[in-house]
Amino acid sequence: MTPTDRVPVLRIASITKTFGAVNALSDVSFSVARGEVHALVGENGAGKSTLVKIVTGVLEPSSGHIELDGEPTGFGTPVDARRAGVAAVYQDPKLFPHLDVAENISMGATPVTALGVVDRKAVVARARESLARIGVAIDPHALIAELSVAELQFVEIARALVADLKLLILDEPTSSLTPAEAEKLFRIVRDLRDHGTAILFITHRLEELTLIADTVTILRDGRHVATRPAAEMSRTEIVRMMVGRPLEGMFAGRAKRTPGQEVLRVEGLTREGAFSNVSFALRAGEIVGMAGLVGSGRSEIAQACFGLSPPTAGRIAIDGVPVTPRSPKQMLALGLAYLPEDRDGLGLIMSAPIVDNVTLPILDRLAKLGFIDEAAGRTIASEAVETYHVRTTGIDQLVSDLSGGNRQKVAFARWLSTRPKVLILDEPTHGVDIGSKAQIHGIIAQLADEGLAVLVISSDLPEVLGVSDRILVIAEGELVAEMDAGSVDQETVMMAATRNTRDSAHAH
Amino acid sequence: MLTEGGEAPTDGEARTALGQFALRFRVSGVAAFLLLLGVAFTLLRPQFIAPGNLSAIISNAAILAIVAAAQAVVLITRNLDVSVGSIMGFSAYLTADFAARHPHVGPALVLMPLTIGGALGALNGVLVAYGRVSPLIATLGTMSVYRGLTYVYARGQEITASRLPAWMNALPEVRIAGVRLLVVIAIIVVCLLAAFLRFYPLGRRMYAVGSNVSASAFFGLRTQRVVLFAYILGAVLCGLAGFLYAVRVGTVTVVLASGWELTSLAAAVIGGVSVAGGSGNVIGAALGAVVLATIDNGLVLLGIPEFWRMFIQGAAIVLAATADMIIAGQVRNALRARRRIARAAP
Repeated sequence: MTPTDRVPVLRIASITKTFGAVNALSDVSFSVARGEVHALVGENGAGKSTLVKIVTGVLEPSSGHIELDGEPTGFGTPVDARRAGVAAVYQDPKLFPHLDVAENISMGATPVTALGVVDRKAVVARARESLARIGVAIDPHALIAELSVAELQFVEIARALVADLKLLILDEPTSSLTPAEAEKLFRIVRDLRDHGTAILFITHRLEELTLIADTVTILRDGRHVATRPAAEMSRTEIVRMMVGRPLEGMFAGRAKRTPGQEVLRVEGLTREGAFSNVSFALRAGEIVGMAGLVGSGRSEIAQACFGLSPPTAGRIAIDGVPVTPRSPKQMLALGLAYLPEDRDGLGLIMSAPIVDNVTLPILDRLAKLGFIDEAAGRTIASEAVETYHVRTTGIDQLVSDLSGGNRQKVAFARWLSTRPKVLILDEPTHGVDIGSKAQIHGIIAQLADEGLAVLVISSDLPEVLGVSDRILVIAEGELVAEMDAGSVDQETVMMAATRNTRDSAHAH
Repeated sequence: MLTEGGEAPTDGEARTALGQFALRFRVSGVAAFLLLLGVAFTLLRPQFIAPGNLSAIISNAAILAIVAAAQAVVLITRNLDVSVGSIMGFSAYLTADFAARHPHVGPALVLMPLTIGGALGALNGVLVAYGRVSPLIATLGTMSVYRGLTYVYARGQEITASRLPAWMNALPEVRIAGVRLLVVIAIIVVCLLAAFLRFYPLGRRMYAVGSNVSASAFFGLRTQRVVLFAYILGAVLCGLAGFLYAVRVGTVTVVLASGWELTSLAAAVIGGVSVAGGSGNVIGAALGAVVLATIDNGLVLLGIPEFWRMFIQGAAIVLAATADMIIAGQVRNALRARRRIARAAP
């Protein structure tokens, strides 16, 4: 399948998108031709989703433009995009669970009879026809809530076919499909391609590229790295281009030291539908990084340890004493603290001042005869602001007025005021500026030196490699590798994280 | 259900029985419950089954059935209207007052409560859909506003049957083929509404918006307009119900239909309308009204104090809504587990 020399279906011309001071995309340009499967790959946060949103009209670019069939286009809404023949199928399909398949396919452009009544026969016939075109046998009368994820995606594709489809965008479609389902999806994609549809295929599973992609475009940190025929690139080469930034200077690397005794042990931890059979141990004074793709189950594992969502199987021990995590309150009392990824929503009370945020988890301790000792609380908060270099006008400043990095430091102070033995940090530097990032890394190292066991969940590979002593790699809810941070590079970790259960189950 | 995971479940054959049951057969569930209730009361008090008693139950349920259907319309879009009772009271009082002053106006008068109801519903709809006020807060506020206006307008005066025109006083006794006009109107209204929701594009969009608001935007549905329309439609029906209620009791007081927000919600939820939006229908809601009327009637026959009524209504809402959430949760879990097993399969 060589792309034709004719005008490309989609041309992305110098697209830049900024969110505040952050560049999500900088000057990205490439084209997708008729009858081509064009794969878009990159690490989490490389800008793939932002690009899809711009193409489908969900977001507007800050500069640059999109051309469809050579014509400059700017879609105001996803509906405009769809009318122009551009449809996107998302990882989590956007359909109506209570309505049936036929109705979902026609919704928004429902055929009616002369009386203005929904023409049920036409609705069902239309659904049958487009489902047949992609060769899947889904009952048009089945409710969406009854379908599997693969079937939902097929319905979305069928829906896209009702209009004249020029460009189909698939956003990580295979991430929750079985091998058989994925094969079926590939067959549909190849079939559409052979009929002239352009396909933009976003994936994390690099081994799929050889199966389906004609061309590969690699994004890194919002920049376009390369666009090349898939056949010319090896998986190792692609991985190198995906992660290929130089290690930033601030990761000095940790000096070797001998960890203390084991404080947290997790054995065979499983929660149905999220992760299975995860075992690891944390020792005092040790920083362990947890790497993996977004959605691989890392946060769920941490939350299970913290008592937020009970595991269905497995054992947890703190200081060698077995515990059953039931609630965060219980785990906090046992010396385990967890800083969630969504710190603004879950980790902090935005509308309250720093002092209230810092002292909230230790109100019991501050209480004297049932009354809160406010003076003691203020002292603790002031000390915390100093220790963690929070840039603020004072402990009475509202958390919502602080920058992202300083909010994260308050979140640290808040959980550390509970004097934990084990600290789990979920994406601690996500959305944090470079300066605060370095300070946060410094704080993490300092805490470990003071004897805390720290688990750092991060999608930022240089960060994981830079701050950790040891690295656990999670893929699809399973612990797939444990590595010594000193002796691995980003490629090795990325290869493990993009490992596919299919690789082991199916191939060779 | 979980065993099908290994196969690619794309053949459209093996479906989750639970999902089917939860989403499709709620209405039959209410009908079955009603039957069960009837059998139980008949066994305890044989006079329950007497035609006169059954017809009394239906008459009592008729107006509530309309209001429950109105509530269902709003619930289907994943919203709530707690001002239904106040809308009934306001429309009924103004209409009765007008009728007392202008006795020559004939049955065309019925347009008045419909218009008033529609206007009050439009205010609710604008607050919720465009003002983005939480439906509970917005309509709780207007419930008080509308009732307050009724008090201010009435200055505590009630309108007695003697001041109403003769045709209004005669209305409750009008029968068509032996069935009370009230009941006939309720049946027609509920059936028309059911047909509208089932067969018209706008009706289907109301389900779509309630089912998944965020997807609605991707489908080009104007969700705000749909929600506004649901509030207006519901309130027009409440205006009608208020008028019928005034006619039925004869004396129109300022507290007419107080507490109906809870009763209508109970009827709708018992009738299988999900408070989480997107599922249920108005026939179910109307049957829910019959269930409540049957319980009322049964309690009287059994000599149980009327105060238990409130307790039973509240308990019914809590039980039905809890069951609703549990079923929805189970469906979700079943789907998730199936997906996981499908993934793990070689």
